[in-house]
Amino acid sequence: MKWATRPHCHIDRAACAWLIRRFIDPDAQFVFVDDPIDAPADATPFDMRGVELGHHGGDCSFETFLRRYDLDDPVLWQLGKIVHEADLDDERYDAPEAAGMDVLLRGLSMTQADEELLALTAPLFDALYEYHRRAILLGREPS
Amino acid sequence: MCTGDVDGPGSIVHDLSVQPRLHNSSQRRTRAQWVLLAYRLPREPSTPRIAIWRKLKRLGAAQLLDGLVALPLDSRNRERLEWLAEEVTEAAGEATLWLGELGSAAQERELAARMSEAVAGEYRAVIEEAGKLRAQTPGRRRRSLSYLRRGLRRIRARDYFPPPERELARQAVEQLAGAVEEVPA
Repeated sequence: MKWATRPHCHIDRAACAWLIRRFIDPDAQFVFVDDPIDAPADATPFDMRGVELGHHGGDCSFETFLRRYDLDDPVLWQLGKIVHEADLDDERYDAPEAAGMDVLLRGLSMTQADEELLALTAPLFDALYEYHRRAILLGREPS
Repeated sequence: MCTGDVDGPGSIVHDLSVQPRLHNSSQRRTRAQWVLLAYRLPREPSTPRIAIWRKLKRLGAAQLLDGLVALPLDSRNRERLEWLAEEVTEAAGEATLWLGELGSAAQERELAARMSEAVAGEYRAVIEEAGKLRAQTPGRRRRSLSYLRRGLRRIRARDYFPPPERELARQAVEQLAGAVEEVPA
């Protein structure tokens, strides 16, 4: 499937792209357009203004994906809190990882093109996922 | 990040050099670009109105008129105001996003000075708070230090035209950190 989003990815778009490839569509292809109107007709737009897979009711796009695709994995919702705080910083959640992720992603968006940024951040989100999966299973901080 | 002409990949998003300066020494001045949100919300319910207002305050947006706010244009601010526009629309309001520049350098300086003064006030509050804490017990100082640091980070994030108070506030808070370390736990 084709997916369309804005170029110059930051945390929310990068996390959504990771989520799509890992949990929704392993063969996902991403197209970057400034305006939803320029998205190819066969592409699903996300993290753009006025589309279903965007910010809604105070949620960031990553959280909207989890709701729309009925992804009820608690580890993904934990990641959702981190993405939310890194993107919106509205203190809805306690996610101390958010500040560091925000800086890393902002730096990467300055030095990398979008495709490279998505390739480089996938292992970061995999790592966050694994860490929080173990934390939830153990009920404490994994070492 | 959607404005290829402002910051493409490889450029620095919050590049201060593209923002207006408070002096006008340069001969070929390029006027700063702004992103503006014009919005209208129903009077009731008041919850979304207050939520939007809080978010705008947190971003450090300049209120130009009732329902018209401005931020220096960069991809991040543009995206943030786009999502706020979306939020206004979802709350049965109307919102449009504009890109623009001020008609004269004097007006631009005036707006920048106003925004600068607003954060200067916030920095002064931090300096005052840090001063009060120096007289407190070591335990209270230590607990308050992380709170002050967090507050300072928040102000810095919306400080587009840094006033001298920025550095003074940093020093005041870090002096407090030094005072915390001197006292044995």
